[in-house]
Amino acid sequence: MSLASSIKKARYRFFPDHIVGEMLSKSWIDNAIPFAFMIVVVGVIGLLLPNFFTGSNISILSRQYGELALVVLAMTTVILVGGIDLSVGSNFALANFLMLYFLNLAHLPVGVSAGLTILITSGVGLINGLLVGYLRLRAFLTTLVTLIIVRAVVDLLLLEYAQDMSMSFYSSPLWDMMGLGGVWIFPFSFVVLAAVAVVAHIAFSRSGPGWRLLAIGGSRRSAFNMGLPVKRIVCSAYVISGALVGMAGVLYAARLSGAGTDTGIGLEISALTAAILGGNSLGGGRGSVPKALMGAVTVLVLSNGVLRLGLNSGSGPMVLGLALLFAVFVDVRWMKNRHKLLSKVYVSPTLMEMPDPRPTDKGPFEINDRLSDVEVIALGEVESPEDVILDEDDNLYSGNRHGDIIRYFAPDYKTHEVYAHIGGAPLGMSFDRNGNLLVCVGGMGLYMVSKADRSVSKVTDETNRSVFSVVDDSRLRLADDLDIAPDGKIYFSEATIRYEMHDWPVDALESRGNGRIICYDPATKKTRTLLKNLVFPNGVCTAHDGKSILFAESWGCRINRYWLEGPRKGKLEVLADRLPGYPDNINRASDGTYWVAIMGMRSPALDLALRMPDFRRRMARRIAADQWLYPNLNIGCVARFNDKGEFLESMWDRYATNHPMITSMREHKGWLYLGGITNNRIGRIRLEGMNDGWSGWSSYWGGSARGQA
Amino acid sequence: MRQTFIARALDRFLGRGSASVTVPALDGALKPNSRLEDLPAGIPAQAPDSIVSWRGAPLWSEGTKLVSEDGVKADLGSGITALASRGDRLAAATLAGELLVLDGGLKPVTPIWTKPVRNVTALDFGPKGDIWFCVGSERNSPAEWRRDLMEMNRSGQIGRAEPATGDIHIVKHRLGYPSGIAVLENGAVVFSEAWSSHVAEMAADGAMTRTVLDELPGYPGRIQARAGGGYWLSVFAPRSPLIEFVLREPAYRKAMLREVPEDFWVAPNYFSGKSFNEPMQGGALKQMGILKPWAPTLSYGLVIELDDEFIPLRSFHSRAGGRRHGITSVLEADGALWLAGRGSDEILRLNLADDGAAA
Repeated sequence: MSLASSIKKARYRFFPDHIVGEMLSKSWIDNAIPFAFMIVVVGVIGLLLPNFFTGSNISILSRQYGELALVVLAMTTVILVGGIDLSVGSNFALANFLMLYFLNLAHLPVGVSAGLTILITSGVGLINGLLVGYLRLRAFLTTLVTLIIVRAVVDLLLLEYAQDMSMSFYSSPLWDMMGLGGVWIFPFSFVVLAAVAVVAHIAFSRSGPGWRLLAIGGSRRSAFNMGLPVKRIVCSAYVISGALVGMAGVLYAARLSGAGTDTGIGLEISALTAAILGGNSLGGGRGSVPKALMGAVTVLVLSNGVLRLGLNSGSGPMVLGLALLFAVFVDVRWMKNRHKLLSKVYVSPTLMEMPDPRPTDKGPFEINDRLSDVEVIALGEVESPEDVILDEDDNLYSGNRHGDIIRYFAPDYKTHEVYAHIGGAPLGMSFDRNGNLLVCVGGMGLYMVSKADRSVSKVTDETNRSVFSVVDDSRLRLADDLDIAPDGKIYFSEATIRYEMHDWPVDALESRGNGRIICYDPATKKTRTLLKNLVFPNGVCTAHDGKSILFAESWGCRINRYWLEGPRKGKLEVLADRLPGYPDNINRASDGTYWVAIMGMRSPALDLALRMPDFRRRMARRIAADQWLYPNLNIGCVARFNDKGEFLESMWDRYATNHPMITSMREHKGWLYLGGITNNRIGRIRLEGMNDGWSGWSSYWGGSARGQA
Repeated sequence: MRQTFIARALDRFLGRGSASVTVPALDGALKPNSRLEDLPAGIPAQAPDSIVSWRGAPLWSEGTKLVSEDGVKADLGSGITALASRGDRLAAATLAGELLVLDGGLKPVTPIWTKPVRNVTALDFGPKGDIWFCVGSERNSPAEWRRDLMEMNRSGQIGRAEPATGDIHIVKHRLGYPSGIAVLENGAVVFSEAWSSHVAEMAADGAMTRTVLDELPGYPGRIQARAGGGYWLSVFAPRSPLIEFVLREPAYRKAMLREVPEDFWVAPNYFSGKSFNEPMQGGALKQMGILKPWAPTLSYGLVIELDDEFIPLRSFHSRAGGRRHGITSVLEADGALWLAGRGSDEILRLNLADDGAAA
């Protein structure tokens, strides 16, 4: 049993499931299947053919690859814009013929010949483009017709000139270098391809025209509606296709110097297979140059391999056809199911062994009704006051879920105004030395409302990115609570980096260390992550002596201390654990102790489930989210503890009727004010035996220059 | 065997077939309302369970006692798990494993039975004075019904006792917690099988069983004949996808039975929301101080009116967050429906004349 449980522990420690979901959410995951397929094909063919990986073979292959990949890029360009170009094969043959014609019979220099050839094949592309782009003919039929006509033209020309061409033989250093030589170890065609690929990649991924082309492929109608010149861009895609095919034809001519009737036969099928096999979507709009290049490798190795394995003559096309079928199948199924898969595997619970909770039938957590006669403020007028805070003039502030900071006027809090509008849900709040209000805003980051003119400004919304995280975790997703150290540094918690504001309780189902403590230094304006892998870090509070910060790990049911100075500087220690509920905000009490809000209570059934991550994973997949086992966030309490982590008392509303749940509390001049994130009210209760003159702001900043007017 | 294993593994992996956790919707005649919740306060009662008509007035069981509107009528010494009456005879079953027959003065006239009868959940008199009984489970007493569900037992029985001779005949075995029984005029027997969420009919000898009402959204309990034909069916607890899911998770289920106190199980109950240690489901998170009535819940109040073909006609509900949950037994008398509210500890009275009796 213990062996089994330690294996289970190790499994969840070293194979964190959430990586799968995070990888599925990346756009490069589209490359995974084509890449794997390419590796498998190269590996298998390489094993079957003895001298496959030798230098000479690689060199021959890469020279062919340069030509094929250019054609594949041509096909990809057209596919991306939502079309198809079947004429690449005969256009290729045309380019081959023209190049040889210009050199051998017209006796033009190599450069001029190549330029003219590419111009003419671009012209063929232009005809396609005009028909498809401007006259709105079907791409498939149009290019099929071009395929036949151009092929017929080539055959006619061959009939006319083949004999003459075979009589003469053109040779020049440049031409020989194009056909046989290269740059360093790379064949010429490969170098050309590399240059074209780099330009094309930048164009598709980082340039306006490339993005517009992809936009048209993704949704032609939307692209039109937003004012893109659809016809022109579609047309130019075919022209580019023609030009690339022309380049490939020139290189082919340089390599073989022969014009035959079978040049480029079936090339359109190879190119199409390669483009789709690489992962470019046949429907358009999704694809990239690397995908095209991967597909070209697969097709080249596959067709070469089949040829050299000496299989029957029909087997080459057969293998290609099957590969195309496979590619289309994967394309369709992947596109359809990727998001379904992602939503199913995103919630990835981990192993969490909860120690037995402290008792609630005796001791400091004994249930009582001390909160049942809470005075209710703004009942029905405020929604989601996660945190509450008071200024030196006794005015009360809270956030609401409409993105405002509301100010309630002392002394009776019966009237209120919108103090500032932020736009995201304000969570933890704190006043700085000058009376500016710092606010953690869910989904936005750390913001400041200035005291002088109530203007809202962003303090920070990103931190340093972790080195080994799959997803970019630099952006703050759920900044939760903050506090300010005596030196002005702002310490705040980000509860989870995997869930948004509206489904934060789902993080409890995972109970992984998804959160972190972050520090913002106003002196350098730098934000950096101090502590990672915390289990829903929540309330942050600077200790009374200013030498450490206290923060709660909600789903871990514990309160930690992080030392800012002193002999244990930089050390993290558990101050109190085994809480009977989930601790939320922590704030100072007037007598040198601390208040902590317990936002919900543990249930034995959930504690048991936390030990069984596979149970929770299946639960997340099988049943609807509103049926999931949750932490009980409908009832909680307020507790008080001291610097040693000893709990002194707790205050409950036993049936959670008057003040249903509590996520924060502030002591102010003998009263305790209560906030709750799912509440429509703020509560306050008179404290017995606490200092009636004490306020939070003066506790932090009262000793220094009084900045509040 | 191999194929079943593969098929089951596949179902489990894909969450369909035998592993799907769907629950029938509250629809049609079962459309939710708040009729039970809106009832005025009833007669306070400690865990009332079974309610019958005794000498023209309702008589119900509260723990070990038999109680009527006038007060305690008798104390049987052990928790009463089922009642039935006919003329001047009252049959009662207790947690101690007794099947008692009482006369008009509620004095025991129990014959010596040939076999012990334990864990009785429901009783009814046959036309000839014989007593039909449901044994919920051979393993667990009616007080342990939640454990019986979580253990997924199917060890219930239906039998007939002859007070004249003391003979006991077990007519049917291996039932999923039979918990309600009614003998028809023609001698056929209708019974509810809670863990199968259906109501079935069989001949007096146990043959020719057929399901008459299927796919109930809860666990059906006692069946009471309606004045003028048809039946009342009390559904004592709701089904929910989470419970269905937990039932399909043996490792979790067994660990829960072993380690978690019974009150805090993920299991249906007569009442819920009394302790914060009870499991809570996502949809039951209160927003702005309100628990939505369609929130997932482990307890519910539901009484269904059936016609004589067992087609539901209408229903009375107490929804999530309500108090009138766990209706274990009903009795129609003088145009009113008397309900044993196990979850709210009261005897409720619902005036049927208020909304023109259906059909």
